[in-house]
Amino acid sequence: MSSTDTTPAASDDASGDGTDAGGDDSLGRRALARLVDASIFERLGIAVASTLLALLIGLVVVAAAGYDPVLFIDNMVYGIFGTYSVADLFGTNNRLAQTLRPTVTFIITGVAVAIAFRAGVFNIGVQGQFVVGGFAAAATIVSIAGSLPGGAAGGAMVIVVATIAAIAAGGLYAMLPGILKAYAGANEIITTIMLNFVASGVVFWLLDAYFRPGGTFFVRTERFPEHVSFPQPIFEGTSFSVVGLAIALLTAGLVFWIMERTRFGYDLVTSGHQADAASYSGVDAKRTIVATMTFSGMVAGLAGAVYVIMVLSYFSDPATLPTFGFDAIAVSLLAANNPLGVIPAGLLFGGLESGGNFVNQSSDVPRQLIDGVVGLVVLFVAAPELFRMAGKRMDVGGDEQ
Amino acid sequence: MSGTDTDDAGAEGSSTTGEGSSYAAQLSGISKRFGDVVANDDVNLDLERGSVHALLGENGSGKTTLMNVLYGLYEQDEGTVRVDGQVRDFDSPRDAIDAGVGMIHQHFQLVEPMTVLQNVILGTEPTRGGLVDEDAARADVEEICERYGFDVDEELDTPVRELDLGAQQHVEIVKSLYRGAEILVLDEPTAVLTPQEVDGLFEVMAELTASGRSLIFITHKLGEAMEAADEITVLRDGHAVGTVSANAASREELAELMVGREVLFDADDRTTEPGDPVLTIEDLQVIGDRGRPTVRGVDCQIREGEILGVAGVEGNGQSELAESIVGLRSVADGTVTYEGTDITDASRRSLIQDGIAYIPEDRQSEGLVLDYDLERNALLGNQTVEPFVRRGVVDWDAVGDHAESIVEEYDVEPHDTGAMAESLSGGNQQKFVVGREFEHDPRAIVAAHPTRGVDIGSIEFIHDRLREMRDEGLAVLLVSSKLEEIQQLSDRIAVMYEGEFVDVVDPGAVTEQDLGLLMTGNELDDGSEPDSGTTHGNGGDDQ
Repeated sequence: MSSTDTTPAASDDASGDGTDAGGDDSLGRRALARLVDASIFERLGIAVASTLLALLIGLVVVAAAGYDPVLFIDNMVYGIFGTYSVADLFGTNNRLAQTLRPTVTFIITGVAVAIAFRAGVFNIGVQGQFVVGGFAAAATIVSIAGSLPGGAAGGAMVIVVATIAAIAAGGLYAMLPGILKAYAGANEIITTIMLNFVASGVVFWLLDAYFRPGGTFFVRTERFPEHVSFPQPIFEGTSFSVVGLAIALLTAGLVFWIMERTRFGYDLVTSGHQADAASYSGVDAKRTIVATMTFSGMVAGLAGAVYVIMVLSYFSDPATLPTFGFDAIAVSLLAANNPLGVIPAGLLFGGLESGGNFVNQSSDVPRQLIDGVVGLVVLFVAAPELFRMAGKRMDVGGDEQ
Repeated sequence: MSGTDTDDAGAEGSSTTGEGSSYAAQLSGISKRFGDVVANDDVNLDLERGSVHALLGENGSGKTTLMNVLYGLYEQDEGTVRVDGQVRDFDSPRDAIDAGVGMIHQHFQLVEPMTVLQNVILGTEPTRGGLVDEDAARADVEEICERYGFDVDEELDTPVRELDLGAQQHVEIVKSLYRGAEILVLDEPTAVLTPQEVDGLFEVMAELTASGRSLIFITHKLGEAMEAADEITVLRDGHAVGTVSANAASREELAELMVGREVLFDADDRTTEPGDPVLTIEDLQVIGDRGRPTVRGVDCQIREGEILGVAGVEGNGQSELAESIVGLRSVADGTVTYEGTDITDASRRSLIQDGIAYIPEDRQSEGLVLDYDLERNALLGNQTVEPFVRRGVVDWDAVGDHAESIVEEYDVEPHDTGAMAESLSGGNQQKFVVGREFEHDPRAIVAAHPTRGVDIGSIEFIHDRLREMRDEGLAVLLVSSKLEEIQQLSDRIAVMYEGEFVDVVDPGAVTEQDLGLLMTGNELDDGSEPDSGTTHGNGGDDQ
């Protein structure tokens, strides 16, 4: 690591913490205390430095494997931003749309995970709730779009109804493991993982039996009518819409507000911090578990609706969908389960996804190597945050927040 | 137990270097720091051979740290430790034990499923041909018991977990003696004992000093230090603020040394007469965590302007009683009535709204969220109370003002509502919890161990507030394992044993010894039951 002194913040924190965090006045402990007390800007700076450091190491590996590191980074940057100049960033920039498209889903599913994790409930079933929500939206659209008027107004109406259906379906589907945990003591990690498979299986069967247009071979719904889609004031012709991004940002903001400013949020977060204290204060632990799971599932269902409406415009075999619900766990953890923190974390994941895809398409670097470099970035960005959480738990550093 | 004993002890004195001969141990200028925290600052302590030296101080004053230095658990930053006049530098308790220093920790270090004999010889087993020579060990242990009057020699083959805490403590002492301890450090040994057991312990201590052993007795209880010790050193904030002879010391003087200012004892002058019943409990039955009935048919009434104290050895159902009244534990049978309404199955939240305040037994797990600041903690339990929350939305400004006023009125240090709850000392945490609960404007208070682990200054403060509340006409149920507290505050005392109230007595009419008898399931012979409370048959059934 000695060659990487160019990014002092990251290397100091990463190496210093690892070596000697236990000592009394050791360098490690002081670094940890410094990290715990870091302001939001410092943390962003650390994240940027970590990203650069990880890319640097990744490029060394790329070069060692016999590929051109300069081309790799060039493709990566172009893949993420679609341009090299800030002035051209917006406009008809399809690559940026490719970055923002997965970002939207990462943010919403990340928020879904964050809700549950903050309450100390481990909803690993966001993927299943995402599938169920997406299917509910798609099923609603293909069922009612025909009987409602066309045009923008009709499309909006269909979208609203479909989104509500998705939220309800995701919520109900998550409520089930919530009830099982609260009233039967079933471990939610196990039940939610199992319900992911149930979701895929049941949705596949429903698609196959009831939603496959006659005479087609593929298990998928018919395509949604043209007018049932988000408006695209910019990024025309891509499967990304700023409306989707706006929904994601609003969701993160709204959930943040609920957690910070409402009784429900206080009860939920307090249950996550100290269950006994929550009960003492009059919180009904069982009902809170069910409510938390339901709330988390509703947001996951919303993610499903936005995904099918904005990206797919149809619904197909759930096994072929990307695993947003699982990646969302990493997104949420990276954001320390803070709904607002999910936004930059989602952007990072979206950028890496899009950049990695572009490298894959435009060079002969193997997919595995690309994923390795991407994983390195995630690891490096997450490490300082994990140390920060550990430091808080170890009680180093001064005041916070 | 003082004066004369030292003489015959002096005869045993071994190595001498002039000045150190009459001292079993001497700690000189001991300083110990943990980071920025100074736990001990230039502390001197001279332990006279064959005497009991009490180390008196509030929680966190550095008593245990000092003794851990002597016992080799900590290494001092400055100062010297002398044992038998020789400067010693113990690297571990093993070194200290070899030098004849033994320590009885507050939490016993016994292996519960193993027998008394196995525990005593653990680590120092006599062997013959590679096998434990149990007969030799048995003979040695019996001889020790004989000499000091322990009766655990009759239970040598009983697993330790079947003994009560007093007997377990004897096992610990025998273990130290078996290892050849000449100096014994007893860390808060009375904390877990009934008054009878405390008397028994003091007798054992007298026996030990009579045979030339030297004892250091760590305590935060004034009365015990004065009763059992020859000399008393008071620690405050890591400093030794004075050493006095137990005979010459007065309660007030010691308290002032401990706290650093004058302390008033027993300022009780009740002015009001109890009124109508506020809480009525009938045939209450509660199942405990392990599925066994822990409250088994309790009847009582708590009236306006009255404190009903519940005394008892911990684990006899007091906690479950308190929790079931405040809605944190479901009731198996019986009823609880509050101001004429049946609240047996009411939720905790509705009881909070109805004005039943609860000072929980464990402030750190229940009463506070440790990694919230005081402002966020001020909302705990107030989530359904206006103006803090309106239509489900929290008004953090109102909560902040509330936190500010609690901190102000209840003198919580630091005066900073942005401070994390975990950064406060135990006493200040408790003052905050008490303040928050009392500011609910309650009509009944259930207080479980309201001053546990709290410094003397704060105890006084909390007691005064409880009395004030009582005088304002509130009904108070006080659960405490401190008899002194129960006796000082209560208007009536219910004694709980194995889930039942064995008696309800007038605090003025009973002694601590009487309460001790009742707490261990005995009845008072002379039939003096001044308050005709509910006396349940002491059926003697043991599950």
